[in-house]
Formats: sequence, C-alpha cells, structure tokens
Amino acid sequence: MAKILIVGEVHNGELLEATLELVTLARNVGGELSSLVIGSGVAAVAEELSKKGGGKVLLADDAFLENYTVDAYTQVICKAIDAESPDLVLIPNTSSGWDVAGKLAAKLDTGIATDVIRIEEDGGDLVFIRRMFNAKFDARLRLAGSPRIATVQPGACEAFEGTEAGSVEALDVSGLESRTKFVELRQAPAGGHDLTKAEFVISGGRGLQKPENFEQLLKPLVEALGAQMGASRPVVDAGWLPHDYQVGTSGQIVSPKLYIAIGISGAIQHLVGMKNSNYIIAINKDADAPIFEVADLGVVADLFEIVPALTEAAVAAKS
Amino acid sequence: MKILVCLKQVPHKDARLEVASDGSWIEEGNLKFEINEYDTYALEEALRIKDAGDAEVVVVSIGPERVVQSLRTALGMGADRAIHVCDDALEKTDSLGVAKTLAAVAKDEEFDLVLMGLMSDDANYALTGPMLAERLGIAHAAGIVKETLSDGSVEVERELEGGSLGVVSLPLPCLLTTQTGMNEVRYASLKGIMQAKKKPLDKKSLADLGLTASDVEPKVTVEKIYAPLKGEGAEIIEGSASEVADKLISKIKELGLL
Ligand SMILES: Cc1cc2nc3c(=O)[nH]c(=O)nc-3n(C[C@H](O)[C@H](O)[C@H](O)COP(=O)(O)OP(=O)(O)OC[C@H]3O[C@@H](n4cnc5c(N)ncnc54)[C@H](O)[C@@H]3O)c2cc1C
Ligand SMILES: Nc1ncnc2c1ncn2[C@@H]1O[C@H](COP(=O)(O)O)[C@@H](O)[C@H]1O
Repeated sequence: MAKILIVGEVHNGELLEATLELVTLARNVGGELSSLVIGSGVAAVAEELSKKGGGKVLLADDAFLENYTVDAYTQVICKAIDAESPDLVLIPNTSSGWDVAGKLAAKLDTGIATDVIRIEEDGGDLVFIRRMFNAKFDARLRLAGSPRIATVQPGACEAFEGTEAGSVEALDVSGLESRTKFVELRQAPAGGHDLTKAEFVISGGRGLQKPENFEQLLKPLVEALGAQMGASRPVVDAGWLPHDYQVGTSGQIVSPKLYIAIGISGAIQHLVGMKNSNYIIAINKDADAPIFEVADLGVVADLFEIVPALTEAAVAAKS
Repeated sequence: MKILVCLKQVPHKDARLEVASDGSWIEEGNLKFEINEYDTYALEEALRIKDAGDAEVVVVSIGPERVVQSLRTALGMGADRAIHVCDDALEKTDSLGVAKTLAAVAKDEEFDLVLMGLMSDDANYALTGPMLAERLGIAHAAGIVKETLSDGSVEVERELEGGSLGVVSLPLPCLLTTQTGMNEVRYASLKGIMQAKKKPLDKKSLADLGLTASDVEPKVTVEKIYAPLKGEGAEIIEGSASEVADKLISKIKELGLL
C-alpha cells in the first residue's frame, strides 16, 4: 500500500481548494495519507485540512514561512518527507508548485510528472496522465525513484467534501534558510477594460495572425454585435492588445452569457478563464483544437471567411 | 557579467503534429522547428543586459543536428558564442538528465546568470530550470516577468495567480526562468546573421562534458502519447460562410443578445 504526502497550499491564510482536490486524488490512488501545511499562523488551516480528509496533517508553522520562498519550502517539504517516508508526493501545480517541484525532484534525484490530470494503476505500478504539446496530446508517464512526485493541475478532480477526525502534528522547522529574499507582493495594474461583468465577450487568439486583424476584422464584428473584445495571452504578449483584454489564469476570469473564441486553441490556462461562460461558440480551422471540447457550438473553418460573413449578417440583422 | 541562455528547439507552432509509430513521441521527420517561445524572451533579456553594459552571452542547446540552426539564429540575434550538446544517449533522457547535462556545460564557466524558459512548448514540463539551479547549487526564481539587476543581486517579479506578482531578490549567481511577454524579442538582422557565421559554435558529446550514458539514464519515461479521448464536444455547424453566419446569428438572437 502506498504512502502519500500532500503538500497543501495556503493563500492569504486560507486553504486553497486545489489542496482538497489532491485529497480526492490521493484517496482514489489509495493508501495511507498525510498532509503538510506551511506558513505562519496557519494552525487553524492545518486543523481544517485534518477534518477535511487530509489525514495526519504536519504543521510547519514559523514566522520565517510567512511568505513563500522556494528555498525554505524545499527544506520544509524535505523534512516532511524524512518524517513520513512517502512513496508519492502530490503538489498543486500552481506558481509556487512549479517553482519548488523541479528543485525538489533534483534534490531527491527522483522521478516527477508535472501538471498531472489523472493517476491510474496499471500492472501494480502507477501511471501519471498529463497533457503535452499544449493539450494536443495526452501522455502516460512512468516514474522511477522514491518518492515519486506529481504536481497536479488545479481543477483536475473534485475537491474532497467529506469530514473526518484527522490529527495535527507539529513539524520541527528550525534552521530554515533562504537565499531568495521576499520583497513584496504587487498587484498588476487592473486597467480599465473590465470583462468580468460583460454579458457578451468575443475573443481573438493567435489565429488572427497580426494586430491589424483585430482592428479591421474582429473589431467590426464586436461592434456590430455590441459585445466586448477579449484575447488570449499570445495576443497580449505580442503587444497587439493591452493586458486588460487577456482572458485566462493570468488575465481575467469571465462568465458572460455568450463567449465566442476565434482562432484560440483552448489551452488550459485560457479555458480556466472562460469555461464558466453560459454558452460558448468556437471558430477554429483545426477540428481537433481542444477549445471544441468546452464549446457548445463549433465552426471548423477559416476565420478569415467566417468573421466577415458573420459581421455582415450581424449588421443586416440589426437593420 | 557572463550569462548562459538555455534554448530548446521545438516544433513550429503551426506544425501539424502526428504521433510517431512507436507511440511515445511525435513524428519529427518533416516538421519545421523553431526556438521555444519562452526561451526567446530569456535570450532577449540577456541581450538587453549585454546592450546596457558589458556582458558575454553564451547560448546552449541539447538536441540533434537540427538544433544548430536555432543556435545560429541566436548568434545572429547577438549572442557571443554557442554550445551544442549532441549525443545519442540524450535522446531518451528526461528533464533531470537535461539539467545534469546543462550543469556539466556550466560547471567551469562561472556564469553570473542563467536564463531559460519557464516551460517547453512541446513537453510542457516546466522542470528543467529549477532542476538545473539545484544541480548548480544556486538560487532560482521560476516564471519571471521582470528583472532588475543591481550589484551582486537581481530583483525579479514572479507571475502568481490572480494578477499578483511576487517580488523577490536573489543573490548572483542565480537562475531565472522567463514567462512569455516580458519583453519585445528582436529579430536577427542581416548583418547579425553574417557576423554569426564567424562566431564560435562548439559541439560537445557527453564524454566531452565528463558524463556517461548512465548519468542521464531517465527516471521518467513517456510510455505513450495519444489524441485525448473526446468528450461530447461541441455541436459542429457546417455550410458556406454565409449559412454558418446565419445560424450563428439565430443562436445569438436566441440567447437574447441581438
Ligand atoms: C502560467 C501560464 C499562464 C498562462 N495564462 C494564460 C492566460 O491567462 N490566457 C491565455 O489565453 N493563455 C495563457 N497562457 C498561455 C497558454 O498556455 C497558451 O499558450 C495560449 O492560451 C494559446 O493562445 P492561442 O490559443 O491564441 O494560440 P495557439 O495555441 O497558437 O492557437 C491558435 C489557434 O488558432 C487556430 N487558427 C489559426 N489560423 C486560423 C484560421 N485562419 N482560422 C481559424 N482558426 C485558425 C489554430 O488552429 C489554433 O488552434 C498561460 C501559460 C502559462 C504557462
Ligand atoms: N534540450 C534542451 N536544450 C537546452 N535547453 C533546454 C532543453 N530542454 C529544456 N531546456 C530549457 O528548459 C526550459 C524548460 O523546459 P521544460 O522543463 O522541458 O518545460 C526550456 O524553456 C529551455 O530553456
């Protein structure tokens, strides 16, 4: 039977939902479960996790851990691994997850799979399933070494909802050091283009090819339909539109009545930003684009033919 | 200041990818390749540091013969020299094997800064940077969108969730992995491309780096890649552009938005 250690994540003093998703995943894999809560003044969070299925919760509570630093977190996770000797360590695939996980695997000289969406048992061994090639393919990975490490995509499974007795144990976290020094948390400037309350969003992606096409092709459509314009990250990265047009994990999370994605492939980081829209239409020339998995209605065609025709029809419908 | 930039060559973004016959990777035969987009920002950042002062920019790529072309592009953009690591034993290695190899490249060079992409556009692992930092025994920050160098240290902004940025300061030498969009990446000029032909490009095998095949024995094996199982998916509408447009307009009306 496997022993599993979950590395919990705390944001602003609250347990991240992704931690409870790891509880579900760990229970599906089966085995003895313990968890780790790292921070300063987070005893209540550890208590909460122990009641929400986290098993034996190790509490790493120290003023030095008030703010995340990769060095200190690596040391704490190693201490927890020494204490528990797990076969499998699960970490949420968040910004701190992808900062710490590779370092940890290199330190322990062990196998790791990142952004995992499922773990299956096959022939007495675990198989780690993740997306590759920007979601064009799924991949099955096998890991050697001990403990094996997986970072898990937030949202890949449901959060565990049961309640349990659980227990909390303090982890000795003396002697922590960090070369990286925390300076501050900054909020990226919000910008004036708020899409979070929009009823109707039409977003363009890399498929639009150049900035002029946002002005000459997409904008007339957006205006004819009285919608708001959004974009995927590459469009913003290239400076074609300002950051406050970006939809996704590192942009805005939108939930309009209707979302139209044009020339957008449907990478997970984009989907997270729009999949809760009431209705989704996707226009993409690639029938296998993952966007069609979340869309209600799809058009598999060249956007340079569809968009002008749609603009024309919209103008006609209004007059 | 001496800067190492790690470049991975990946399939071109618009390439149509097919699963290879052994099922564990893509068919690479007829593909066009390019420098991993994340890495282009790392290279640009290094070149900006060079433009602003005095720096030597060394680029390294591990891969088959074809990666030489990407290294030449980087030299054309302004990098000073290139290292190409090529060895059959590296074909099936994993991120840790790549990190060990890169660490061997960096070993005797005393780089002040190592810059690389947050993640590769093919494997999407986001592992190599933090692994390399650990192997080199230096501090790192993953997923940065800004860096400001000062004497002996660098302050960076890491992109976190929900529009927040984590600002941290690291002592040099250190390693940073770059997010996309942090700068505007230059193109190689014609003059640059001409000059690049005369710049050093060293080819190294594992043995040249003091490593053996067993040092890069993978702990991670990709057993199989396959098209994702399709769910129900979208209802696909067909027809001429104007027929499709009419159907979409009726839908938009039905949703009460027109
Ligand atoms: C930490 C992190 C955070 C991220 N945050 C975000 C985020 O907030 N938002 C975001 O969007 N991304 C984000 N990304 C990037 C994300 O992984 C993808 O790279 C990005 O979403 C891809 O954008 P795209 O779909 O426009 O481009 P691509 O993936 O290149 O897709 C372009 C699509 O256009 C289609 N196309 C091309 N030409 C035509 C045509 N003529 N007609 C019809 N279709 C056409 C193609 O078939 C393709 O599907 C993030 C990544 C990371 C690692
Ligand atoms: N074969 C390689 N040669 C040089 N650099 C690499 C190689 N593989 C990965 N890298 C670097 O590591 C980063 C992260 O890659 P990955 O861990 O595969 O997602 C890339 O953006 C590159 O900068």
